[in-house]
Amino acid sequence: MKMRRTTYAAAVTALSAIAAITGCSDDSDSGGGRKITFIQGVKGDEFYISMACGAQDKAKELGVKLDVTGADKWDASLQTPVVNAVAAKGPDAVLIAPTDTAALRQPEQQLKSRGAKVIEVDTKLDDDSIRETSISSDNEQGGALAARTLAQLMGDKGKVSAISVKPGISTTDARLKGFETEIKKHPGITYLGVQYNDDDPAKAASIVSSTLAANPDLGGIFAANVFSGEGAATGIEQTNKTGQLKLVAFDATPKQVEALRRGSIQGLIAQKPYDIGAKGVEQAVAALDKKQVPKSIATDLVAVTKDNVDQPDVSKYLYKGAC
Amino acid sequence: MQPLLEGRGLVKRFGQVQALRGADFTVFPGEVVALIGDNGAGKSTLTKVLAGAARPDEGGILFEGAPVTLERPTDAQRLGIETVYQDLALAPDLDGAANLFLGRELLRRGLAGRLGVLDKAAMRRRAVDAFARLGVELQDIDAPIGTLSGGQRQSVAIARAVAWADKVVFMDEPTAALGVLQRGRVLDVVRKVRDAGTSVVLISHNMPEVLSVADRVEVLRLGQRVATFTAADTSVEELVGAMTGALDEGRAA
Amino acid sequence: MSLGETTTDTGPGPGDDAAATTTSTAKSAGEAASSADVKDETVTAPDPRPDLSDTARRLARRLVRTNSAWTFLVLLVLMTAFSIMKPAHFPTTFNLRNVATDAAVLLIIGVGMTYVVITAGIDLSVGSVLVFSGVVAAKTMTGISDVDAGWGPILLGLLAGLAAGAAWGALNGFLVAKAKVPALIVTLGSLGMALGLAQVMTEGQDVRGVPTRLSDTIGNGRVLGVPWLVVIALLVTVLGALALATTRFGRRTYAIGSNAEAARRAGIPVELHLIKVYALCGLLAGLAGILSLARFTTTTIGGHTNDSLGAIAAVVLGGTSLFGGVGTIVGTLIGVFIPAILQNGFIILGVQPYWQSVAVGGVLIAAVYADQLRRRATQRA
Repeated sequence: MKMRRTTYAAAVTALSAIAAITGCSDDSDSGGGRKITFIQGVKGDEFYISMACGAQDKAKELGVKLDVTGADKWDASLQTPVVNAVAAKGPDAVLIAPTDTAALRQPEQQLKSRGAKVIEVDTKLDDDSIRETSISSDNEQGGALAARTLAQLMGDKGKVSAISVKPGISTTDARLKGFETEIKKHPGITYLGVQYNDDDPAKAASIVSSTLAANPDLGGIFAANVFSGEGAATGIEQTNKTGQLKLVAFDATPKQVEALRRGSIQGLIAQKPYDIGAKGVEQAVAALDKKQVPKSIATDLVAVTKDNVDQPDVSKYLYKGAC
Repeated sequence: MQPLLEGRGLVKRFGQVQALRGADFTVFPGEVVALIGDNGAGKSTLTKVLAGAARPDEGGILFEGAPVTLERPTDAQRLGIETVYQDLALAPDLDGAANLFLGRELLRRGLAGRLGVLDKAAMRRRAVDAFARLGVELQDIDAPIGTLSGGQRQSVAIARAVAWADKVVFMDEPTAALGVLQRGRVLDVVRKVRDAGTSVVLISHNMPEVLSVADRVEVLRLGQRVATFTAADTSVEELVGAMTGALDEGRAA
Repeated sequence: MSLGETTTDTGPGPGDDAAATTTSTAKSAGEAASSADVKDETVTAPDPRPDLSDTARRLARRLVRTNSAWTFLVLLVLMTAFSIMKPAHFPTTFNLRNVATDAAVLLIIGVGMTYVVITAGIDLSVGSVLVFSGVVAAKTMTGISDVDAGWGPILLGLLAGLAAGAAWGALNGFLVAKAKVPALIVTLGSLGMALGLAQVMTEGQDVRGVPTRLSDTIGNGRVLGVPWLVVIALLVTVLGALALATTRFGRRTYAIGSNAEAARRAGIPVELHLIKVYALCGLLAGLAGILSLARFTTTTIGGHTNDSLGAIAAVVLGGTSLFGGVGTIVGTLIGVFIPAILQNGFIILGVQPYWQSVAVGGVLIAAVYADQLRRRATQRA
C-alpha cells in the first residue's frame, strides 16, 4: 500500500518535472517557421558557445527557430545518439560539428535521408557527399597571420620555433603550413622547426624550456592550439623569460585572453566562431530556399594583442562563456 | 568400539597464541557428544580443525580408524562431516532452498543439465521436505534468508548441515540465538539425527542442555582435553568444575 | 548425501515442541546480531498450506520483490509522456529503432557489468577494453586484408577482438580474486592500461579502412527491419538473463556476492568463479568493441569515455545492489533505456542541453532512492 503511494507520487513528480522543463522551451510544431538544430562538437566549450550565439542571432534575424544541443564530451559514441534524436525530431536543417571524420558519416547520412539540409561547421567529414557546405576558419591564413604578428612583435629579427599537437590533424597542419610559408618571407627571422606535444600542456612547457636551453637567444614561439599555448606560456614563466620571449597562440578563450592581459602571451589568433555560426544559419536558409550554396566557406581570423584587445571590433571575436 | 572420528594431539597456533595444545577428541558412531569448555578453551578452533576449515600445526585426525588429511571443508564434507557455524554461513540474499543446496546445486537432466541449468523445482521440493522434517516453519519458502528472523536462519543452517551429513554434524552453539520453543525443537532434532545413526558434536555453554541431550561430554580447557564424562553419570557442578580446573582428576568415562 | 540422490533422510517427521530443557544462559560474543531477533521466534502456527502452493501468489510475491518493477514503471511513464508531447516525432519506428541501436553497445556492456556487480565487484575498465578490443580487431582485419576484405579476415579480426576483451577481463578477475586487490583499483588500473596500449598500437591515430562488408552488415544492416546491432544486443541480453537466473553459474554468482565466505565454505570455487565473471565482462566489452567498430567504421579511440560509468549507472538503475547478491539483467535492460529515452526525448523536445544532464542524473538518484524505500518496505512486511 505504502509502496504504491510512493510510486504514484514519484511518477506524478517525474511527469510534472518534465512538463516544467519543457515549459521553458518555446515549442511550436504547428507554426510554419523553419526549424534548425545546431549540434555542437561538445557542449560547454567557449568556442562552440560563441558559435551558438552567432547562429542564434542570425536565426532571429531570419525568422527561423534554432535549437542547440550537444554531447557532454568530444566523443563520437556520445554524439551519435544526439544526432539520431535530432533526426527523429526532423528539423529542416542541421548545423553540426562532427567529432570524427568517419564515425559520424552514417548518422549524418540518416539526417540527410530524413530531408534535413546538413551544414558542417568547424570540423567536417572526409566524405563530402552529405553536406551542403562546410564552414570553417581558414587555418592556413590564420597561420600566416600568426607569422606576421609574431614577426612584428619581434621587430622582424630573431629565432622562432613552433609547437603543435601531433602530425596528421588537418586543422593544426594547415596552421603550421601557413605559418611556415609566411615566416620564410621574413629574412631577419630564423625558423627552428616544429615540435609536438600530444595535446599535453605539461609536455609543451618542457619543450619550451629545453628549446630555450639549446637556443638561449630564442625570440618567439608559435603555439598552434589552445593546450600548446597554455603549456608554452607556463614554460616561459618557469624560465623567467616572460615578455622577452614572444608567444603567439591560436584561439582566444577567456583563459587565454587573461594570459594575454597578464603578459604571458603576446598575441592570440582568434577564429571567428560567432561568424561561423551566423554563416551556418545563413547557408542553411539559403539551401532551404534552393539557392546556390558554395561547397565550402572559409572565415578569416583576427590577431589579438594587448594593444587592440579592448577595441570593440576585436573584442567581439573573443570567445564567450555565454551569449 | 571403534571411534568414528578422532583427533590426536592437535596443536594450532595463531601467531603467539596457542589455541590448541595437544588436544584430543573422540566421536563414536551414533552418539551425541558435547564439547564444552570456557571461553578461549579452544572449542571453535578444534571444531574448525576437525571440519577441515583450519589445518592443525601438529597432531593427526583419524576417520573410522584411518588417518585423513582435511585440507578444506569439502574434504570433510566428502567424508560425511558437516558443520553448523556459529557465524551462519548462509547467503542472505538467497532463499532457503538455494542455501540448502549452496555448492551442491541440482541440475536438470539431459542437455539442460549439461548446460548447467538448475532443477529449481526439485531443490525446492526437497528443501520443503528437509525443513518439514526438522519442524522448521518458514512463512515464505521463497523469501531471501536475510528477511527471516535470526532463529529461522539458524534453523535453515542446521537443516542444511543435517541434510548433507551422513556421519558427523558439528553444531557450534546451535541454540544460543533461539527462543524457548525453537530451542526445544532443535534439541529434539539433535536426538533424531542421532537416532538415525549420525553422530552429533554439540558445542554449548548451556549445561542443562548438554546433560539433557548428550550421551557423553568432553571437556576442553586451555587447548587440551581435561576430562570426559558419561552424561548420565555426571552433574552440572562436575562439568563446571572440570571446565574451570577445580576438578582435574574427574575422569568418569 | 541424502538430499542429492534420495529423499530418505536423517530426521523422521516434524518436531513436536517437547521443549522442557531450556534454562537459557546467554552466549558470549558473536551472537549479538541474531539474539536481537529472539523474540520473533514464537512458533508459527503449523501452516496447512498444500504442497502444490498457490503459484499465482508466489509469482506475485516474486514480482513485488523484483527490484526492476519500479524502474520499469519509470520507463513507461517517460515513454508515455514523450509520446503524448511529441506524437509525431517520438513514438516512431524510426526514432525507437535509433534509440535501440544507440543503446545496443551499452546494453551489452551492461549485461557483463550486472554479473560483476552482483558479485559485489565493479569494472571501471570496460570502456577502455572496448576500445582496445576494437583496435585489435581493426588491426587484424586491416593487417591481413583491406576495405574489401572477405569474411575470413573479418572473422579472424572478430575472434581477435573477443579474445583481447576476455583476456583483459581474466586479468582483472585474477587480480581481484587471487591477488586480492580491490576491484575498484584493479579496473581503474586496467582502464588506463588498456587505453594506453590501444594508443600505443595505433600511435594515437584511429584505425580506418574497416572492411565494408562488416559495416554494411553488422554495423548498419538490418534483419527483418531490425538493426543487427539490436538483434545481437537482445540475444546477449536474453542469454545473459537466462544464464543468471536459471543456471548454476548464475546461482553461484549471486551466492558469492551475497556472502563469499559462505560460498567458500559450501565448496564453491570462489576465486575461479570470480575470474570467470570478470572474463565474461571483458568478453562482452570486446564484443561491444567490435560492434562499435562495425558501426562507426573507425576505432574511436578518443570515444567511449562514458561507457563504464554509463553501464554501472544502468545496472544500479535496474535494481542491482552495489553490495552484491541482488540484481537482474532485465533491470539492467530497463536501466540502459531510461537515460537513453530521457536524452532522446529531451532533444526532440528541444530542451536546453544542460537540463538533459541534470534530468538524467536526477532520475538516476530518484529511481535508486525509490527502490531503497520499496526494499525497506518489503523487508518489514
